[in-house]
Amino acid sequence: MSRIMVTPRPQRSMGVRIGVPSLSLLVAMLLGALILVLTGADPVEVYRTMFDASLNGTVALERTLTYATPLILTGLAAAIAFRVKVYNIGAEGQLFMGAIGASAVALTLPSGTPTVLMVGAMMVAGALAGLVWAGFAAVPKAFLGTDEIITTLMLNFVALAFMNYLIFGSFSFLRDPTRPVPQGEAIPASATMPSISGRLHIGILIAVGLAVVLWWVLRSTTFGFRMRTIGDSPRAARYAGIGVPLTTLAVLSISGALAGVAGAIEVSGVTNRLDPQSLAIELGYTGIVIAAVARLNPIGVVPVAVLLAAIAAAGGSMQSIGVQVQVVVLLQGLIFLSVTAGEFFVTNKVALRPPPPTTIQPVADPVGGGA
Amino acid sequence: MLPVARERCVRRDPWLIVAPDGGPEQLAPISLQVRDLSKSFYGVHAVDGVSFDLVGGEIHGLLGENGAGKSTLCSMLAGLYRPDGGHILIDGEEVHFRSPDDAASHGIGMVYQHFRLVDSFTVAENIVLGHGEGVGRRARRAVEARVHELGEEYGLDVDAAAPVWQLSVGERQRVEILSQLFRGARILILDEPTAVLAPHESGRLFQALRKMVDRGHAVVLVSHKMQEILGHTDRVTVLRGGRNAGAGDTASLAPASLAAMMFGDELAGVGARVERTEQVVGAAVLTVSGLDVMGDHGRRAVDGVSFEVRRHEIVGVAGVAGNGQRELHEALAGLRSASTGSVVINGHDCSSAGPKVRHRAGMAYVPEDRLGTGLASGLPIEDNLVLRSFDRAPHSVAGRLRSGAIRETAAKLVREFDVRGARDGMPVSFMSGGNLQKAILARELTEDHDVLVAAAPTRGLDLSAAETVRGHLRRDREQGRGVLLFSEDLAEVLELADVVLVMFRGAIVGRFDRSEVDVEQIGLLMTGIATTTEASRP
Amino acid sequence: MNDSVLVLSIASALVAGTPILLAALGEIITERAGVMNLGIEGMMLMGAVAGFWCGVHTGSLTLSLLVGGLAGAALSLVHAVLAITLRVNQTVSGLSLVIVGSGLAAFLGAAGETSLLERANGVDVDQLLPDALADLPLVGPILFGYDPVVYVTVILVGVASRVLYRSAAGLSLRAVGEDPAAADAAGLHVVRIRYLATTIGGVGAGVGGAYLVLAVLGTWQTGLTAGVGWIAVALVILAGWRPWLALAGAYAFGALRGLGFTLQIAQVSIPSDFLAMIPFVAAYVVVVAVSASPNRSRRVAAPAALGEPYNREER
Repeated sequence: MSRIMVTPRPQRSMGVRIGVPSLSLLVAMLLGALILVLTGADPVEVYRTMFDASLNGTVALERTLTYATPLILTGLAAAIAFRVKVYNIGAEGQLFMGAIGASAVALTLPSGTPTVLMVGAMMVAGALAGLVWAGFAAVPKAFLGTDEIITTLMLNFVALAFMNYLIFGSFSFLRDPTRPVPQGEAIPASATMPSISGRLHIGILIAVGLAVVLWWVLRSTTFGFRMRTIGDSPRAARYAGIGVPLTTLAVLSISGALAGVAGAIEVSGVTNRLDPQSLAIELGYTGIVIAAVARLNPIGVVPVAVLLAAIAAAGGSMQSIGVQVQVVVLLQGLIFLSVTAGEFFVTNKVALRPPPPTTIQPVADPVGGGA
Repeated sequence: MLPVARERCVRRDPWLIVAPDGGPEQLAPISLQVRDLSKSFYGVHAVDGVSFDLVGGEIHGLLGENGAGKSTLCSMLAGLYRPDGGHILIDGEEVHFRSPDDAASHGIGMVYQHFRLVDSFTVAENIVLGHGEGVGRRARRAVEARVHELGEEYGLDVDAAAPVWQLSVGERQRVEILSQLFRGARILILDEPTAVLAPHESGRLFQALRKMVDRGHAVVLVSHKMQEILGHTDRVTVLRGGRNAGAGDTASLAPASLAAMMFGDELAGVGARVERTEQVVGAAVLTVSGLDVMGDHGRRAVDGVSFEVRRHEIVGVAGVAGNGQRELHEALAGLRSASTGSVVINGHDCSSAGPKVRHRAGMAYVPEDRLGTGLASGLPIEDNLVLRSFDRAPHSVAGRLRSGAIRETAAKLVREFDVRGARDGMPVSFMSGGNLQKAILARELTEDHDVLVAAAPTRGLDLSAAETVRGHLRRDREQGRGVLLFSEDLAEVLELADVVLVMFRGAIVGRFDRSEVDVEQIGLLMTGIATTTEASRP
Repeated sequence: MNDSVLVLSIASALVAGTPILLAALGEIITERAGVMNLGIEGMMLMGAVAGFWCGVHTGSLTLSLLVGGLAGAALSLVHAVLAITLRVNQTVSGLSLVIVGSGLAAFLGAAGETSLLERANGVDVDQLLPDALADLPLVGPILFGYDPVVYVTVILVGVASRVLYRSAAGLSLRAVGEDPAAADAAGLHVVRIRYLATTIGGVGAGVGGAYLVLAVLGTWQTGLTAGVGWIAVALVILAGWRPWLALAGAYAFGALRGLGFTLQIAQVSIPSDFLAMIPFVAAYVVVVAVSASPNRSRRVAAPAALGEPYNREER
């Protein structure tokens, strides 16, 4: 252990920033292959099937990008919050509330409303619902200094239970009264998000668009400067005259809104009803790890989200080759761990310490007397 | 992760320092030899082939200016850093320390400038930490008894049951020393121990050290203060630029030759004393009245402070660190709220305003904490140089940053203030202390301001960087601004200030115009020995 | 009638609370050393799947708990490497492990020829003390009717408390969590202590998870922990990192989880979804209330260096 020298890198070249994560990815795939072999599956077949199902061909791409849309948004939600050291673990619950809000609006507005207005209203409702839900953590934090990790977390479970209640536990207006099996009521056709190609809807454009906007805000606006400073050093931020509580409150609210929009988009573009089972697939938590892998960079969130979506999209095809669906979650997890661990090598240079000289110099007194 | 077998000397029983019959116990002869020791950080040699000898029974001074490598050398001896090259021999046998624990088992103990005490633990718990002894009631009593005994022996008394955060700086230092003695330290290294002590506390420290070496301990005293070395050491080794620059018996060395060793060809007058220009003092730019500020532990840190800073004037606040200076300047800058009192900047009442308003009202602030407060350590130099002005023209317009203007400002400041070491996109944390300070000054001095509050601006800087900083302060004064200087270095305060305020336990206990400065009186006020007298009434 | 409802509630609270307590106890040790491990939920699941597998194949509770503990420890070791050696952000690392842990557990639970999903009760869990004691009216079921694990857990709380506050090991642990630089200077192996503490936390979570699936639930299902690991994380903070308070809190949460059943018997009908919410709402309310309380000492109780990676050569 004493032979290894770790020195921080003052500057990180492109080579390092691309090379290390790529290597980590490779390591993850190899580890995944190992586990597959140990459980009696053929890694080559598995990976090939995954590739076919997620990236090979129009249908596959449509599937992948559709899966990626909410992940981009939850990733953005986590990225901006974590940037100012506010650990919003509640994207999961904020997404659910966004979905609820959007469904409610879709089922309340007259079904003849033009799509533009309908979808627009749903997005706004989703954003507001997510924002308010985040507020339940933001307000105690701002006024009492309550730790947001626990509050946002607890609120996730409350939101999940509430969403379940609306569909499974009661006959709320969000539930389809015509079916005996509990199911959300379908939103009108005008509330459905227009499609780009097949099942891929314009939600992806909204998500990527927001990523670009946030990236621009972070690097080119005074608000972004405030965020970056707070994230680096709250003390320096105060010294700079930045209102730290107000800014973090704003960021947490925006974060919640983004997650809420994710929920709204899912309802409008994919499920077309409030469907708890399709929504409660850990989109929020995955978003956090996406953000971390993307090093909290809004633009970086997009490719990472797409990668993870590709893996998730391939899950459906696993059963056909006799492999458990959960292998995709496993693979995602391995990628997270591997890239996160690899981060260390981006930030630091690791080298071997040169061995100490083995010969002892003659002990002549080199210390002269006097100047 | 399992322990690798290490060379261990037989650990002396730490309790054996006070012998059973009560008489002083003599330690066996000790010798420490350092040969060609080297250590680099990020390609810069902090220590480059240094050698020196140490024997029991002597206080050995390690003299050199800031940045000469003294602290790094000692950190290697204490096992905190691993040398890149060279040898350390104890009693003739070569040793390789892998950790402070390792060094401790060979009898080397170090007392650092920044104390390594767990604030929330008691003195006894801190001393016992790492010893493998329990802290049940019985064990605690035993430790407390020993602490009391040792305290009496060496004049290092301290209350063993008190939590450390309640102790004064001098007392904490005593705990550190006792801690090392408990570990069986035969060689004690002290890094700038008097930096945080008042004159008479220093006296007590040296008495204790003398008692220790009389028993056979060896003491290494690291200092950049020549008076200290001349007055209290038996032998001295001088370092300059990480290398040996001379050594010898203290008694046979004249101050002039030591100075020559320390500074090389440029003599101690590297700060060739700039001629002090007489200034006509102007109107008040900062008026503080009855300021009370609460400290971190629920105690009042600043107590009814009132004073004024006028144009063309430097007001220096002298005082031992920890007497409320930090809370005071943080409160003046708006980083800490005052419970009562008023702060008027340039005629504007800013008593309840935040840092931004005070800045706009005309107060520039150079904080004590460079990388934690004054700069955002992870951000690059351009961002830091516009830290206080990013939301104003020309650096931004309508909420949008203008990167061209920012880069221009940054380039100009770096050039004018000779800030070195900054590279594209590199976090400023990689820059040296001197350059960081220049950067902060560049930013604060070029913005419009009427009063400059500078907290410990030359701390940790080498002589030339410190002189540059002082030059900037003088220039600010000449240009018609008021400067409020907080410094632990009394010499610096006396050199720069037109008015000297003395702070003790949060209150201003003395005010001296330059012409009536009485160093002895100031020293006594700083340590609370004297109370305010007529001559010094603020 | 009311008597036995009360008795049943209390008894079930202790049993339901034990997994939470085991996980929380482990996490207290981990956090006291300054490491924040949010991955408990994943570690509990790993412990559950490993323990259940072992129970199905061996029928021994003790062995199953041991295996569960090992599984939890293995996962926590990953967190230790990430958080301590590689100095990754501990929140992110912990969350990744929840995802990995739950994914891996789900995968293993459904994989291979012997899918655990199809198995019923894995192991018989007997009560420890003789029936005579357990049959005593009122006192019997409350104090004496439990399986050994419940009692051992209580003993562990006592041991943890004593070690933490009275022993040298505990002092060293706390020092590492309060001020790693000072601990390092005092000769303590900060890294080694933190690794050990994190592993102990993993063991606690793993055993808790195994106990949960074997003794409390009885059958395996995906996602069986349903947030219990997160409650343990919250509990550690609420209990001020103190073992005995964690015990009280764990049993309280155990009671809340069983509240649904109790209310049903008392013929109060509340939708089951709202019942599921109760522990989480309770945790939320308590966390907010604690930070609102004027008594500052609560917040000062957090280990000062919690969550901060330690780098000796940081200048």
